[in-house]
Amino acid sequence: MTSSPPRLRALPLIGVTLWVGLLVLASVWMSRQAYRWLPVQASTAAPLVDGLFSFETGVGTFVFLGVISVMVWVVLMHRADKYDETDAEPIEGNTRLEVVWTAIPLVLVMAIAAYAIRVNTSLGVLGPMEHIHLHNSVEAQGGYPGDRLPAEGIEVIARQWSWEFRYPDAGVSSTELHLAVDQPVTFRLVSEDVIHGFYIPAFRLKQDVIPGTAINFNLTPTREGRYRLRDSQFSGTWFAANQADVVVESRDAHSAWLKQAAAQPLQPGLNVAAAEYAVRSKKSKAGWATVPPAPPPQVNVPGSDRLLHDA
Amino acid sequence: MTTALPSSPQGHGHAHGEAEHENHSLTGFIIFLCSESVIFLAFFSGFALLKTSAINWLPAGVEGLEWRMPLLNTVVLVSSSGTIWLAEILKARGSLWGFRVLWLLTMALGAYFLYGQAVEWSGLSFGFTSGVFGGTFYLLTGFHGLHVATGVLLMTLMLIKSFIPGNYDRGEQGVQATSLFWHFVDVIWIILFVLIYVWQRH
Amino acid sequence: MTSATFPASEPQPSWTRYFSFNTDAKVIGIQYIVVSFFFFLIGGLLAMIIRGELITPEADLVDRTVYNGIYTMHGTIMLFLFIFPVLNGLNNLLIPTMIGAPDMAFPRLNAVAFWLVPIFGGLLIASFFVPGGPAYSGWWSYPPVSIQNPLGHLVSGQGLWLTAVALSGVSSIMGAVNFVTTIIRMRAPGMGLFRMPVFCWTALAAQSLQLIGLPALTGGAVMLLFDLVAGTSFYRPEGGGDPVLYQHFFWFYSHPAVYVIILPVFGVFSELFPVYSRKPLFGYVYVALASFIIVGLGLVVWVHHMFPSGVAQWMRNLFMVTTMLIAVPTGVKVFAWLGTLWRGKLRLTTPMLFCLGGLFNFVFAGITGIMLATVPVDIHVSNTYFVVGHFHYVIYGAAVMGVFAAIYHWFPKFIGRMPYEGLGKLHFLLTFVGANLNFLPMHPLGLMGMPRRVSSYDPEFAFWNVMASLGAFLLGVSIIPFLLNMVSSWVRGPKATHNPWNAIGLEWLLPSPPPEDNFGEHVPTVISRPYGYGTGEPLVENQEAIERALTLQEARA
Ligand code: HEA
Ligand code: HEA
Ligand code: CUA
Ligand SMILES: [Cu+2]
Repeated sequence: MTSSPPRLRALPLIGVTLWVGLLVLASVWMSRQAYRWLPVQASTAAPLVDGLFSFETGVGTFVFLGVISVMVWVVLMHRADKYDETDAEPIEGNTRLEVVWTAIPLVLVMAIAAYAIRVNTSLGVLGPMEHIHLHNSVEAQGGYPGDRLPAEGIEVIARQWSWEFRYPDAGVSSTELHLAVDQPVTFRLVSEDVIHGFYIPAFRLKQDVIPGTAINFNLTPTREGRYRLRDSQFSGTWFAANQADVVVESRDAHSAWLKQAAAQPLQPGLNVAAAEYAVRSKKSKAGWATVPPAPPPQVNVPGSDRLLHDA
Repeated sequence: MTTALPSSPQGHGHAHGEAEHENHSLTGFIIFLCSESVIFLAFFSGFALLKTSAINWLPAGVEGLEWRMPLLNTVVLVSSSGTIWLAEILKARGSLWGFRVLWLLTMALGAYFLYGQAVEWSGLSFGFTSGVFGGTFYLLTGFHGLHVATGVLLMTLMLIKSFIPGNYDRGEQGVQATSLFWHFVDVIWIILFVLIYVWQRH
Repeated sequence: MTSATFPASEPQPSWTRYFSFNTDAKVIGIQYIVVSFFFFLIGGLLAMIIRGELITPEADLVDRTVYNGIYTMHGTIMLFLFIFPVLNGLNNLLIPTMIGAPDMAFPRLNAVAFWLVPIFGGLLIASFFVPGGPAYSGWWSYPPVSIQNPLGHLVSGQGLWLTAVALSGVSSIMGAVNFVTTIIRMRAPGMGLFRMPVFCWTALAAQSLQLIGLPALTGGAVMLLFDLVAGTSFYRPEGGGDPVLYQHFFWFYSHPAVYVIILPVFGVFSELFPVYSRKPLFGYVYVALASFIIVGLGLVVWVHHMFPSGVAQWMRNLFMVTTMLIAVPTGVKVFAWLGTLWRGKLRLTTPMLFCLGGLFNFVFAGITGIMLATVPVDIHVSNTYFVVGHFHYVIYGAAVMGVFAAIYHWFPKFIGRMPYEGLGKLHFLLTFVGANLNFLPMHPLGLMGMPRRVSSYDPEFAFWNVMASLGAFLLGVSIIPFLLNMVSSWVRGPKATHNPWNAIGLEWLLPSPPPEDNFGEHVPTVISRPYGYGTGEPLVENQEAIERALTLQEARA
C-alpha cells in the first residue's frame, strides 16, 4: 500500500477530534439542563442527588451521542450501492480496540460509582439514609444516638389510604406534614397494613414503610414552601390518592402552628379514599373488589388537598 | 463435555420427532436437577433469613424439636444411598437379581423414612399455620418428603421395567437417573436436618 | 461424505398441524409466535386503556380497581404470555436449524411446554371473570397487598394469577432443559462451541439464567400462595413473617429475567448486522463470551430493585457497583456491532432498520439503567415513571423491535414466502416514532416525581402524559401494517428461495421452508467460523454442491 500524504491522513484525526470536542460541549450543556428537569431543591439531600444526576446526564449524553454518531455516519456513508452485491472487506476484529472499549466504559462507570458512593456517604452523614435498621436495633425501638439528636421527632403512620403525622412533644396530630426550615427532623415510619412508600420529590427522598418494623429516617428541609408527599409503593385501590401536603415554614411559624394545632379539637383527617369509597358503595356496579379504606384518622389539623404546591 | 468435538454426528439414522434420545435424557435430567436444587436453596435461605430475624421464632408452648427419631430417619436415608449404589454395581456386574433385591431394599428404606416422617408430623403440637416456624417447618419437610415419595415411585417404575426383556439394550439411563435423583434427595435431607434439627438455638 | 441430495419438494403438510400436538420444533416455533402475538394484542389493548385513563389527571375512564387490575394484567401478559413465548418460538425455529440438528433433544417435552402456554394463558384471562376481578397488585405481587384477598374466596384473581405464573415457570423450565441439552449435545459435526452462531450462545446464556432463576421465583410464589389460601404467615408480619423476603425471591429471578429477554435479542442483532453490512461479526469471541459475563453479573444485582425497601448501606453500594459493571460486557457487544457496521456495505432492509432502531433505543435505555443503578438517583426516581420509561425503552424499543427484525429476517426461511418491504418499512417508521413519543415523556414525568401505578395524578403532570398517550395510540396503529404484512405474505407472498438475503449459516443451506427433519441424515460438516462475509471461505464441506442442489430444486418447483 502506498502511503498517502501526511496532510490527508491527518484529516480524519482532526475531524474526529473536533467531533469529540463538540460532543463534550453538548454533554456539558445537557448536564446543565438536567437540573431543570427536576423539582425545586427543598432539602439538604437534593443538591447532592441533583449533582450526581447532572454528572450522569453528562456522561450518558456523551456515550449516547458517541454511539449514535457512528450509527448515523455508517447509515449515511457506508451504504451499499443499489446493484452492489459484493461483500465488504472482512475485518474480523481487533484486540487493541477490544481492550480500549472494554476499558473506557469500565473507567466511566467506576467514576460514576465512586461519585455515587460519596454521595451515599454524605447523605448518610446528613441523616437521610443511615439509620435504617430493621429488627430490634436501638433505633428501631425509637432511640437515637444522643450526639445527633434532631430537634424534632415525628411519627408517620401509613394506612390504606391516608397519612397521619404525630408530633408527640407537642401533642399534635395532623394529616398535613409541617416542618421547620433548616431544622433536622427524625421520622419514625410505621405502617398499619401493607407496604407504603414515603416519598417527597422536592426532598429527593423516598423510603418504604414496612409493616412490622419501625424505620427511622432523617432529613433536613431547606426551602420554605408547600410540597407533595406521595405514596410510592403500590398499596391497593386508592394508592394514587394516598397523598399529603408537606409545609415547610420558618421556625417561628412552625412553633406557632404547633401551638395553634394543639388547641384545635380532633376531627376526621383528610382522606380521599374514604370519601370516594362512600360514593362508590352506593353504585350497583362499581368495579372489582377492594379492601375498604381504614377509617380516617382523628387529627387536630386535616389540611387540604386543593392548595397549589411548589413540587 | 467436549468442546471441539461434535457429540452427535453418529447415529442420526433413526426417525426423528418420535423417539426421544436416550443418550440425551441423562444430560437433560442433570440439568433439571441443578435447576431443582435452586428451589431448595431458596427455601433454605428463606428459612435462615426468617429465623435469624424473627423476634419470636418458636410458637408459644413449643420448646423445640425432638431430634432422636429424625436422626434415626437420617441414618435410614443415608444408608439407602449406599444400597442404591450397591444395586447399580451389581447390575453393572450382570447380576440382575442382586440388583433387584438391593433396589427393593432401597425402596423399603425410603418408605420407612416416609413412615417416620408421618409419625413425627402426627405427634407435633404445632401446625402449618402456627407462625413462620410452623410454616417453614412443614414446607421444608413436606417438600422434601414429596421428593422422597417421587423417588420411591420412580424406583417402583424401574423395578417393574427391569422385568421387561431387552429393557437395558438401549442403555440404562432410567436407573442412572433414578439413582442420581435419590442421592440428590439424600443430600438435601442432610442439609435440611442440620438446618432444622441441629441448628435449634435462636 | 457425499454431497447432499434433497427429496424433490415434499407434499405440502396440512395447515391443521399448527392446531395439533405436533413435535416438530419448526411447527412449535410458529405456534409459539402466533399465540404470543395473540396475547400481545390483548396486552396492547390493556395498554391502550391505561394510556386512555392517563390522558387526563382524574381517574375517570375506569374505576380505580379496574385500573389496578388492568395494569397488573398488562405487565403479566406482556412478560409471561408475549415476550417469553415469542422468544421461545425463535429458539425453536433457530436453534435446531442453526446447529444442524433434526429437532430438539426432547421433542415431546417441547410440545408439552408449548401447550402449557395457552393453558395458563387461558387461566390468566379467566381471572378477569372471577368474582372480584383479576389480580391487582402489580406484576410483582408484593405482599401484604397481594394476600389481602378482599372477597375472601378460595378462588380469587390473585390465586389464578399465581397458578398461571407457576405453570409458566414449569413450561419455561421444560423449555430451558430442552434448549440447553440440544445446544450442548446436538451440534453438527465440526461445529465446536466457538463455531456456533452467536444466537445460540445467547440462547444458551439466557436459558441458563432461566434454570438458575426460575426455581427461586417458584419457591417464593408457592409460599405466597400458601399465605393467600392456607393462612400461613411466611410474609405476614402479624405471624412473624417478613414481606421483604418475598421481594428477594421475586427479584432474584425477575432481574435475570430481563436478561433472558434481551440476550436472545443481542443474538438477533449479532446475526443480522453482519448479513446486512456484508462483513463478519466484529470480535466474535468477545461477543460470545460477553453473554456469559452478563449471566454471571446478572445473578448478583437483584437488590437494585429494592433500594428504597430499607436495605443496609453496604448492600446498596455493593449492588450498585455490580449493576453498573454490566455496562462493560454490554458495551463490548454494542461496540462490536458498531465495528461490524463500520465500513460495511449496508442494506437498509426492514430487518436491518429494526435492528438499527432497536440499537438506538437500547443504548438510551442502558444509560437510564445506569442512572437507576446509582442509589441516590434511584431513591428519587424508583417507582416513578422514570423506571417505566427505562424498561419500555428496553423492552419495547429494543427487545420487541429485535423480535420484529428476527421475524422479517427469518420469515422467508420458515414460511417459504417473502414479506412485503413497503409495509415492513411503514411498520418500522410508525413503531420507531410511536415508541419514542410514547416512552420518552415518561422520563421527565418520573424526574418530576410522578409515581407509577397511579390511576390519577396531579395536574402538573398532564402535558407529558398527553404526549405519551398520543405516542401509545400511534404504537397501537403501528401494529396494523405488521399484521397485514404477515397475513398477506403468508397467504400469497412471493415464493422465497433458500437464501434470499444471501446470508451465511446452516439454516440458509436448507430449503425454504425446511423439511421436517431439517438435514436428516445429511448434516453437513462445519469447517469455518460463522459470519465469513467477504472471506470467501465456505462454511461447510461441499457447500457448493449443496447450494447447487438447492437452486436446482427451486428451479424445478
Ligand atoms: C430487557 C430488559 C431490560 C434490560 C436489558 C435492562 C438493563 C438494565 N437495567 Fe433495567 N429494568 C427492566 C428491564 C431491563 N433492564 C425492567 C422490566 C425494570 C422494571 C421492572 C419493574 O419495576 O416492574 C427495570 C428496572 C431497573 C432498575 C430498578 C429501578 C427501580 O425500580 O427503582 C434498575 C436499577 O438499577 C435497572 C438498571 C438496569 C441496568 C444498569 C441495565 C444494564 O444492563 C444496561 C446496560 C447497557 C448500557 C449501559 C448501554 C450500552 C453500553 C455502552 C454503550 C457502554 C458505555 C456505557 C456507559 C459508560 C454508561 N433497571
Ligand atoms: C413485553 C413487555 C411490555 C410491552 C411490549 C409493553 C407495551 C406497552 N406498555 Fe407496558 N408494561 C410492562 C411491560 C410491557 N409493556 C410491564 C412489565 C409493566 C409494569 C406493570 C406493573 O407495574 O406491574 C408495564 C406498565 C405499563 C405502564 C404503567 C402503568 C402504571 O404504572 O400505572 C404503562 C403506561 O403507560 C404502559 C404502557 C405501555 C404501552 C403504551 C405499550 C405499547 O407498546 C403497547 C403497544 C400495543 C400494541 C401495538 C397493540 C395494540 C392493540 C390494539 C390497538 C387493539 C387490538 C386488540 C385486539 C384485536 C384484541 N405499560
Ligand atoms: Cu439424533 Cu440428536
Ligand atoms: Cu434489574
